[in-house]
Amino acid sequence: MTLPFFLLLTAILLLFQLVLLLYLVIRKHKRKRLEEEIESQYAHLTEPFASYMMDPSDARFLYAVKSISHQQVVLERLLNGYVAFTRGGSASPLVQQLSEEFLTETYTRVLNQRNWARRVNTLHYIEDFRMRSLAPILRERMKQAGKLDVETQQLIRTLASLNEDVVIDELNRFSNAPVRLFVDILHRLDKTNAEEHVKTALEGENETIKHAAFIYIAYSGAITFLPQVEKELASPQVETRIQALKTIFRLKYLSEPDLLAPFFDSPFWTERMFAARITGVMQFSRYKKSLSTLLGDSVWWVRYSAAEAYTHFSDGDVILAHLAENHPDRYGRDMAAQWQTFRPGGAR
Amino acid sequence: MHTFFLILSYVIIAYMLFSSLSYILLFGLAFRKVYRESELDPRETTEDIAGNERTFPVSILVPAYNEEVGVVSTVRSLLALEYPEKEIIVIDDGSKDQTSARMIEEFQMTEVSFAVRAYLETAEIKTIYQSSIFPYIRLIKKANGGKADALNAGINLASYPYFCAIDGDSVLENDALLKTMKPIIESDGQIIVTGGSVRIANGSTISRSKVETINLPSHPVVLMQIIEYFRAFLIGRLALSRMNILLIVSGAFGVFHKERVIRAGGYNRKTVGEDMELVVRLHRLLREEKSKQRIEYIPDPVCWTEAPESLEVLRSQRIRWQRGLWETLWTHKKIIFNPAYGSIGLLSMPYFLLVELLGAVFELGGYFMIFGGFFFSLIDPKTAGTLFLVTIFYGSFISALAVLLEEMTLHKYPKISHLVRLYFWALTETFWYRPFMVIWRIQGIFAAFRKKHNWGNMKRKGIST
Repeated sequence: MTLPFFLLLTAILLLFQLVLLLYLVIRKHKRKRLEEEIESQYAHLTEPFASYMMDPSDARFLYAVKSISHQQVVLERLLNGYVAFTRGGSASPLVQQLSEEFLTETYTRVLNQRNWARRVNTLHYIEDFRMRSLAPILRERMKQAGKLDVETQQLIRTLASLNEDVVIDELNRFSNAPVRLFVDILHRLDKTNAEEHVKTALEGENETIKHAAFIYIAYSGAITFLPQVEKELASPQVETRIQALKTIFRLKYLSEPDLLAPFFDSPFWTERMFAARITGVMQFSRYKKSLSTLLGDSVWWVRYSAAEAYTHFSDGDVILAHLAENHPDRYGRDMAAQWQTFRPGGAR
Repeated sequence: MHTFFLILSYVIIAYMLFSSLSYILLFGLAFRKVYRESELDPRETTEDIAGNERTFPVSILVPAYNEEVGVVSTVRSLLALEYPEKEIIVIDDGSKDQTSARMIEEFQMTEVSFAVRAYLETAEIKTIYQSSIFPYIRLIKKANGGKADALNAGINLASYPYFCAIDGDSVLENDALLKTMKPIIESDGQIIVTGGSVRIANGSTISRSKVETINLPSHPVVLMQIIEYFRAFLIGRLALSRMNILLIVSGAFGVFHKERVIRAGGYNRKTVGEDMELVVRLHRLLREEKSKQRIEYIPDPVCWTEAPESLEVLRSQRIRWQRGLWETLWTHKKIIFNPAYGSIGLLSMPYFLLVELLGAVFELGGYFMIFGGFFFSLIDPKTAGTLFLVTIFYGSFISALAVLLEEMTLHKYPKISHLVRLYFWALTETFWYRPFMVIWRIQGIFAAFRKKHNWGNMKRKGIST
């Protein structure tokens, strides 16, 4: 390898980079021009679109959208904006109607393209616009899915948003299906459908979907499942008991306060912590003394939750002041002192 | 003697060609993923976790030492972050300026008593404050103990299972935390650390703690640092992350699983390269436990930071970085070339030793040979010429390639003139910027033997108005 070889190599590499630079400059220029055109068409259609969404008899938008060159992108932006910033926008029949009329054909084509990013984006848009017209194609794709990658996960969410309850069975095909994905499905299915699946999950043996059912109950406030959740407080599985306690904490409801009593002496600190938390949010005065015991617990989080629980009671500040001076445990006193001034919680 | 210099020249040529090829290989590995994902609609991919109550809450730790100019705008930018639940903890590590006073005044903070857990040992905690307008903003005022010590104090106070460490002079893009947490959430805990890209804010307009206009600075030294960051983040880290052998998550922006970090012993207070040292230690523990958990780098989430404009400050920064690298490699020397640690021991640690640390030594040798060859007949002019071309290839061409990769994938800089300027400045790298870096990096290796710790002496202008 001599100097001429390296000279030639350098020249070739420089030339290659310059050609690439030129290509990127041209691409940047074209993209900029394209974006300007899209922006202009978007601005032009914003008012007729808003008017149409308020009063569908104003058909100016329908005529205008048919005549523009960037119909797909402009419509996606308008509908996305509407869905994102309007309460219940996703459920709007007009959004569904417009997207099905103008985007079904394009999306059918995109879903069969090799461009992975465009396929994933399209799955998101189908979900946002509730395009039922594409459900048969999506069901077919789901049957063919062989691995639970990013695209399949979004496909599952999209199908669930179209209330296709076949997704639970499809997801069960994958042994590595995470709890999170089951929860995502339950939250997307309509209420009746979701609750039917929750019922089946609570009666079944699959711990993953049972766990997902607990989370669904907790976050959707499905109080009708309280008896089943309370029943799980006696489960021999510690994880299941913790999930049940978490759900009760979220629901802020317990039919019989006695059910909580065994957890104050649990050998598992998470159970003691939830016992304290539930006592606080539900203001169970009978357990105030147990809270004082937990304030001297060996685990920081249990002490933290016990002290926090006092702040929910009307006389909580007086009790905390007393405990900050007189609690037999030094760490318990420190924690009580903290909760006299400390305000909890993160930014939401 | 002539033969010795000739052989030395060939060794340097071989080294530079090997390093350049390794960069191109890393580039190839990085390209497909980043190109594939660059067309994803960013809003669509994060909207699910943005509005989800089940998204893990995050404690944001901001260690600060003499950051009176930037700390308030940093916290304001964090307030504006799109994220379902977060708390912000600023740790004033015994600043000599008005860092704490600015925080207390701006966010109406009052002293609270707090039963801090002592998971990790730190210098004395003097006072803890809580904002009365935003209760989730807290300030720890502590005795000086260094950045690692400040971060450890923040970890002790943090309430949430994940923490995000960011520098006191940085501004995060609105959706940066969401994008960084997304892989953690979707992996169901299999990813324990994620690092985001750090970009240079000089030249851009950041107002009300939001990046309004992205522009290039006029100062060539800062321009070259922008190119250097492209090279480091887009070529190196992405590819190493794909192989799960990423050894650096920038101290300026990274998210960590708190319990894992506590189990690893927190940040090491005895090194100036605490960010890299922690990541190497975590990797080491993962290998020792035969865990499948991962550490990932996410190219898109962006943290904007202020780069030094003066050569003096840049020099001290680079000496500190190189020293940190040396200290980390020395602390974990047991791993290097050790097959028990898999690809960490056989690939990434040797890569950091040979390319990142010793690269400067080879490059200095190269410059010496070129100069000696052309002016003092140390080697024949043809060999000197070959060495000269390989040096350009190793420096300028790879950096120019990084600029092109950025444009092909993320294209954050909006104007055509930005691309052209960055490209041609990248080509000049070998001729003026790189020699400075080489000398400072070698000084950094020597500095590792002088055990003096400090926070660095960056002179801030502030990046946000």
